[in-house]
Amino acid sequence: MTREQLDSLAAEFRYVVTDAICRSGVGHIGGVMSLVEIVITLYYRIMKIKPQDPNWPQRDRLVLSKGHAGPVVYTALAYKGFFPKDWLTTINKNGTRLPSHMDQILTPGVEITAGSLGQGLSCACGMALAAKHDSRKHRVFCIIGDGESDEGQIWEAALFAAHNQLDNLIAICDYNKMQIDGRTEEIINLEPLVDKWRAFGWETFEMNGHDWDAVYDTLQKADGVTGRPAMIIAHTIKGKGNRETEGLVDCHNVKIPDETTYQRLMCGLECKFDLPY
Amino acid sequence: MENYHEMEMRVVYAQTLKDLIDRNPDVFCLEADLGKADASIPVVSKSHPRNFINCGVQEANMIGVGAGLAREGKIPFCATFSAFASRRCYDQITISVAYANNNVKIVGNSPGITQGPNGGTHMCFQDLAIMRAMPNMHVYSPADANELRAVMFHMAESKQPTYMQLVRLKMPKLFEEGASFDPHQAKRLHAGQDITLVATGFMTRFALDVARQLEKENITVDLLHYPSVKPFDTKTLIDSARKTSAVVTVENQNIVGGLGSAVCEVLGENHPVKVKRLGIPDQFGEVADQDYLFNKHGFGPEHIAQACRELSRSKSK
Repeated sequence: MTREQLDSLAAEFRYVVTDAICRSGVGHIGGVMSLVEIVITLYYRIMKIKPQDPNWPQRDRLVLSKGHAGPVVYTALAYKGFFPKDWLTTINKNGTRLPSHMDQILTPGVEITAGSLGQGLSCACGMALAAKHDSRKHRVFCIIGDGESDEGQIWEAALFAAHNQLDNLIAICDYNKMQIDGRTEEIINLEPLVDKWRAFGWETFEMNGHDWDAVYDTLQKADGVTGRPAMIIAHTIKGKGNRETEGLVDCHNVKIPDETTYQRLMCGLECKFDLPY
Repeated sequence: MENYHEMEMRVVYAQTLKDLIDRNPDVFCLEADLGKADASIPVVSKSHPRNFINCGVQEANMIGVGAGLAREGKIPFCATFSAFASRRCYDQITISVAYANNNVKIVGNSPGITQGPNGGTHMCFQDLAIMRAMPNMHVYSPADANELRAVMFHMAESKQPTYMQLVRLKMPKLFEEGASFDPHQAKRLHAGQDITLVATGFMTRFALDVARQLEKENITVDLLHYPSVKPFDTKTLIDSARKTSAVVTVENQNIVGGLGSAVCEVLGENHPVKVKRLGIPDQFGEVADQDYLFNKHGFGPEHIAQACRELSRSKSK
């Protein structure tokens, strides 16, 4: 894909996922928008998947440990053909198969249920361990949040993955530097974050999480690491790509109570697209 | 033929896990730095080092790793002391295991007062209650070594998230080798007409002693042993209560929420009779031996016998 095609796809993802979230009246727009380039790169350029066979044994796995960003992964899954795009209009509605937080039972292509923060990285460790045990070559990707990194369980998993030399595990921290109650440096400071992961025994990279080349190249480098797990600290912007949310602390969980709010949010996006449903 | 009842239950646990891995290399043994207490060190760690994962003192991570293994088709047995296997990582079990329906087996070693010298911090009296309150979860408490093996063979075959209490100590033989286990079926260990006595796990041996003792006093006890507290065999209980009209329960747990509560729920909705629940009367544990705690909380053999006498007498008035 050319850079122009990727830019256009990212803008379309942002447009569609914002519309889909707005239909439910409330949603985690901030942490969804910060992950668009990373999720597109994973699903379109890095991961081996078979949408028609979601449980294909050789597939690469993605665990979204920050399960509240489910809608951006749902958008990728719908666009890749795991399920019809019109499912996106049901996000968080009664009887949906696309709940706000990831659910491995409900949604084709979702590997692990996540939403109670800190748990997904442990599950990803178990999945990577199983692959190593069986000498299978697929990779396990895991996206964690920066706020999620406050959880002790993240650091339990960090010790575990390094001790067990899980070099088939590639984690990405969506470091948008904001959490629900404010900036991470004000709530509970994570710095020096890169040093922490290095000290825990992970091969650690930094990248601009919105730069296509940086995201792709860093994921490739992380894939080449042997003997230890890889962590990519992705510097991102919460609410990226929408004038109404970009860089705003209060965009974690946005309420869309009326048509006026909906129109304001949709007008804040860079481009307008025909909705695919 | 092994004489499993001559071994500590933890050794039987480890030996059975080794046997399960011998048969199915997808079975895994996970520990959180209590592999020696569970006897999986050295039994499993030596025989199957690739299937033995020591997570260190990381109960929450152990449950998550187990869930990830289960998602990939493995059958992880995650063991630690019952306090840490249940209350410490309750949310991890709730979300990563039960809600996601991942096939993880959680083993709570040294339940209730059997923690003895580790005292109040380690004595967990609510694991049956909190695990029973979790959708998708099966909850077992085997009473002797042969039943423990039967329960573990069932766990390795089933696709069900499961919590099992593991008494660490040697237990007297109640069942023959090759004993059966069906989670939907209680076991009648002593037939009687005068009083129904319901027990599980560690307390069943004492309940059987009481049933035999009371026979000499012409009180016949219908003793029901529940190796599975959830699912709970309602029919056997209701049939027995129709016959005896009075029920005593005894468990190595808080009387709030566990076996006694399950009995009251079933009888209250189906066949109300008088029930006396014996166990820990909603208190925390402490460093003490078995007899001290039986006497303090009133659920040792003498207390069970007295409750059976009183209830069978009171119903005839």
